[in-house]
Amino acid sequence: MKTLTLSLLILSPAALLAADAVETAHAGIAPDQLQFFEKNIRPVLVEHCYKCHSSESEKVKGGLTLDTKQATLLGGESGHPGVTPGSIAQSSLYEAMTWKKEDMQMPPKQKLPDDVIANFKKWIEMGAPDPREQKVANAGGGKRVIDMDEGRKHWSFQKPVKHTPPEVKTPNWAKTEIDQFVLAGIEKAGLRPVRDADRPTLIRRIAFDLTGLPPTPDEVKAFVADQSPDAVKRVIDMYLDSERYGERWARHWLDVARYAESSGKEVNVLYPHAWRYRDYVIESFKKDKPYDQFLKEQIAGDLMKFDGKRDQAEKIVATGFLAIGSKGHNQRDKRQFAMDLVDEQIDAMSQSMLGLTLACARCHDHKFDPVTQRDYYALAGIFLSSETQFGTYSQLQNANPGTLIELDRDAQQVSALAKISTTEVATLKKRYADATQTAENIRDQVRGMSASERQSQGAQSFLRIRSSFDRADSMKADLDLFHEDGTPRTLAMGVLDRATPINSPILIRGDLKQPGDVTPRGLVEVLCAKGEPLNIGKGSGRLDLAYWIASRDNPLTARVMANRVWLKLMGSALVVTPDNFGTMGQKPTHPELLDYLAVSFMENGWSVKKLIREIMLSRAYQMGSTYDAANYAADPDNKLHWRMSQRRLDAEAIRDAMLSVAGAINFYPVDGSPVARAGEGREGIINLLREVNSKPQTYRSIYLPLIRDQIPEFLSVFDFPDASLVNGDRDTTNVPSQSLFLMNNAQVQALADGFALRVAKYEGDSQERLSYAYQLAFGREPTPQEKQAITNFWMRFPQEIAKNKNIPKDKIQGVALSAFCQGLLASAEFRYLN
Amino acid sequence: MNAPLSHRRDFLKTTSSGFGYLAFAALAHQQALRANPAAGPLMPKQPHFTPRAKHVIFLCMQGAPSHVDTFDYKPKLIADAGKSAPSVAGRYGTAKLMPPQWKFGQHGKSGLWMSELWPNLAKHADDLCMLNSMATDLPAHPQAFTQLHTGTTQFVRPSLGAWTLYGLGTQNQNLPGFVTINPPGNATRTFGSAFLPAIYQGTKVGGPTIPGLPAALGRRFGGGMDQATVANIKNSRFNTEAQRAQLDLVQSLNKSTMQQGGGVSAEVEGVIESYELAFRMQAEVPKVMDLTKETEATKALYGIGDGESDTFGKQCLMARKFVEAGVRFIEITHGNWDQHFGLKAGLERNCNQVDKPVAGLLADLKARGLLKDTLVIWGGEFGRTPHSQGDDGRDHNNKGFTMWMAGGGVKGGMNYGMTDDYGYEAVLNKMHIHDWHATVLALMGLDHERLTYRYAGRDFRLTDVYGTVVKEIMA
Repeated sequence: MKTLTLSLLILSPAALLAADAVETAHAGIAPDQLQFFEKNIRPVLVEHCYKCHSSESEKVKGGLTLDTKQATLLGGESGHPGVTPGSIAQSSLYEAMTWKKEDMQMPPKQKLPDDVIANFKKWIEMGAPDPREQKVANAGGGKRVIDMDEGRKHWSFQKPVKHTPPEVKTPNWAKTEIDQFVLAGIEKAGLRPVRDADRPTLIRRIAFDLTGLPPTPDEVKAFVADQSPDAVKRVIDMYLDSERYGERWARHWLDVARYAESSGKEVNVLYPHAWRYRDYVIESFKKDKPYDQFLKEQIAGDLMKFDGKRDQAEKIVATGFLAIGSKGHNQRDKRQFAMDLVDEQIDAMSQSMLGLTLACARCHDHKFDPVTQRDYYALAGIFLSSETQFGTYSQLQNANPGTLIELDRDAQQVSALAKISTTEVATLKKRYADATQTAENIRDQVRGMSASERQSQGAQSFLRIRSSFDRADSMKADLDLFHEDGTPRTLAMGVLDRATPINSPILIRGDLKQPGDVTPRGLVEVLCAKGEPLNIGKGSGRLDLAYWIASRDNPLTARVMANRVWLKLMGSALVVTPDNFGTMGQKPTHPELLDYLAVSFMENGWSVKKLIREIMLSRAYQMGSTYDAANYAADPDNKLHWRMSQRRLDAEAIRDAMLSVAGAINFYPVDGSPVARAGEGREGIINLLREVNSKPQTYRSIYLPLIRDQIPEFLSVFDFPDASLVNGDRDTTNVPSQSLFLMNNAQVQALADGFALRVAKYEGDSQERLSYAYQLAFGREPTPQEKQAITNFWMRFPQEIAKNKNIPKDKIQGVALSAFCQGLLASAEFRYLN
Repeated sequence: MNAPLSHRRDFLKTTSSGFGYLAFAALAHQQALRANPAAGPLMPKQPHFTPRAKHVIFLCMQGAPSHVDTFDYKPKLIADAGKSAPSVAGRYGTAKLMPPQWKFGQHGKSGLWMSELWPNLAKHADDLCMLNSMATDLPAHPQAFTQLHTGTTQFVRPSLGAWTLYGLGTQNQNLPGFVTINPPGNATRTFGSAFLPAIYQGTKVGGPTIPGLPAALGRRFGGGMDQATVANIKNSRFNTEAQRAQLDLVQSLNKSTMQQGGGVSAEVEGVIESYELAFRMQAEVPKVMDLTKETEATKALYGIGDGESDTFGKQCLMARKFVEAGVRFIEITHGNWDQHFGLKAGLERNCNQVDKPVAGLLADLKARGLLKDTLVIWGGEFGRTPHSQGDDGRDHNNKGFTMWMAGGGVKGGMNYGMTDDYGYEAVLNKMHIHDWHATVLALMGLDHERLTYRYAGRDFRLTDVYGTVVKEIMA
């Protein structure tokens, strides 16, 4: 496999964890080298360093311990390796000894003699031989507690096989093989499937499932009239081919990709370039990119073959999956930040793609699944060998700014920003220069103060310096968005390989101060056949990892996705814990059906659209959602699928449907995201909230700005999931806060006004207008009973509202029509699919 | 007496229309409820036996507070500080014991040991019933936090508040019976009703996603309770009568939807009930949540206006007002107790935030004669290790930790149970979360073995097949 050579401009140099080349750490030590260490190195460390830098120290300074080999290599909180065998340039221990840097001179009081320093140079260059192995029980090399042979027996760790569909007794019910599996389960429990859904119900279901929007009255009419045997297939294909399909199904993936546009956690730094990944996902579903390809690109798109600059750029954007997770940017220990980042990546990747909680093995072997700490740190090495490019600038609480990936100018990528003039570029430059000058002046002024002056100002002077430099940095951020000629640069979040791959030590109890044995980069043992090589040869190993996950040999990947698709279409999953197929997850209700879906998914080239079509064409999908007392008594959760589950629409579909019914929906959002235009730093969030709150947002919900812990109310009130966590199955609560939102919220009222205006403008008498309103909202005609209730409303409401003196007499009918339309939007039927 | 409804459909059958709630969905709704108290799923129900408490205020400390630095005094941990963790800890290997970082002292006539982190709460020592031998199944936050609320670490089950409301109903039909103030954003299970009817779910007040709380501009607990309310509680357009006419239309449509779907739909039924409750809440909630009418002395008692304790103080005062108004179960979540690092600064900050408000709440409830009927509970999902993690932190410990109760029929000034010499594991009178649940229900007059709900062919309980009521702590 050819790996690409990138000509990538990096915004600023990264300074992250770089414990390069610890791979040689296990080499045997020659006797003369050992002697050199014992004579020239150990005594110096003991005498001059251990007081502050050993596990016995009263207080360990800078997070650095030097009394074991592993800890010496790892280095301290700065994130720089303490010692890199063979490289004095990458050995911060040596640099500190030389007193070359003003702020890092060790030992602090007295520089060591030149000959001692020369010995350290020699020792590092000979490969830093060091016999002081960390002695910790069960650090990977110890006795294995988990029995892998036993572990492999777990149902989901065995490859799916295509079973012959079972025989069924009920004649003429099953239309497809899926139906045979479902019907067999229903029959076995002594139940009977309910009758098929009627046409208006069915098209409403299909439209929402595929596009997240209600069918138009014309679509309903045409479908009801279409008596051909292919009618259902045709309407499914029509919606699958719609532009709206990509937006609908991308959102399902964004739930499991924990997509959002800020860091979350304590500081919540904005990620102005995250939207590129969102657009990539939309485009992938729209084009029906094979799912295996889709996964590979998200893990290792930057390392894959590409066809032209545009393709290359898209594959790099795909790796944004690994960069958009939540992060604690205020973490001062850079190694801790790096390990937390890797942990988040392992967690998101393993839950979303494999349905496993591999991150549980960070501190100890997995408590429930046959996953060891070795497995975890083998994966950690892969991610540590990659550089995650998440951007952001240095700010008061952002101790971990990063870089971004610049995509080629000719890669035909859209931009969130408009071109600016060269004059404006010059202005930005000047603002940055002025801000920097101001910051430097303030710094010099503080430096020039006497000790007592500085004392009296306390932290004040420090904060003044800091905030002025922060200001300069946010100016720099603005400037960095543009080329010299004023065209916006194309920047993306993502990952790239490091020049030299690294292996991670096992961290005892996940503690950086207790590094154990170094683990070669590799894959998860229990998911590999016995005796299969687990370790990565060359490079970071991300590409190997990608191919291993997106493989027909991986027992989990296809199953997990087939289950996700089933859940979204059928309302309840075959494995009801869609993000956990491990031993703590639930067993499948229909194991053979799950395998059937997984295998045919792979056989059909991992086409998500084909999988969806296959499920939708089953009779199981096309059943009604009618209540049946006997069935309900036996299976209230409808695990057997004796009817279609009644499903509440998710937040996005509720909002989009309201916009759509109100005639207000805008299918052409401005490129990018409001977050991209908000600016960096603290001001960014304020700008953003100002923009979002100042005018109504009418584009589809998937394009709303998603700031972690600041999810738009319209979405959060209807159970939008925590955007920091992988979530394959949303809650659907039913609480008064939703009722209050639908009755009283200004956005809902405005949409009701829009709906009312549309109905008022419709040409026809009041009955025809009522019919139109019903078609728009529910895709059907009102029943006589409903007409009676509506008549009652029209008799009562105008009279009651007339008591409100603030409403002029001539407005009463209009207010009443809006109240009526709001009533339709607020009804259960509007937000439930039958 | 009426046993709690054994099936959610039962109340529907009690009315001639076969449609319980809508029968009353007219303007005369409230009068109808008063005239017919048997109707409505939130109406007060007879407990199984005489209750000791009528209300619960659960002060939930999310993140797992360190028991050995607060309420579990371990002289041997001080004496053996710096030594390797003992074999009782087995898996902890080379870790070093870390003494409590604050001084302990004895308080009240009872001489209860508490650390100096609680100067105000210490004055109420004789009201506190320390449960020093708590235990839970897993040392992982999501699972333990879920178990604390629902009894299970993995399944979707009703929460303690939902079970209590289901068992007892509530006194004020215009307010939710279960209010959860500032719940974590990703933990709907802590106030969910699972298979119980949706009406028994907790109603959120404040919390991280409520507009008006500028969470993005400050820390989650950095203020904003002044604006915190139930979102969208006020209608800006319609007078009440007009809105009722609109709501009657909505409910008629919902009724129609239900009938078309075969006459039974838990989902639509949930919609109908939550509209009725929402409508009544509009009138009642603003009155209850208005703290401006409280005296300065009362506010000062709760530490309102005191910087660190201001937010939690307001939440505690609100809890008292909810109790006064007849709400059955109130939970307040206070976060960030997970001190793996920065224990000294972090735990002290947390205690400064809650000490005065909690003490104020106890004093205020007592002064108003409400404490005898109100069970106040403080605690988190587990405790922390007696050994250190890094220089200034402690790891998770699920085998032994402390919660406390006050008021509501529990004995004050006592310790129940004990951990080993260092605080690792409950060794005397271990109280598992199941036992704690059984005991809380018992204090409320409910028998945890009889409080069941039939679902999927089986009777479910909060305590599953476990749980022992701890009678020793009952006054």
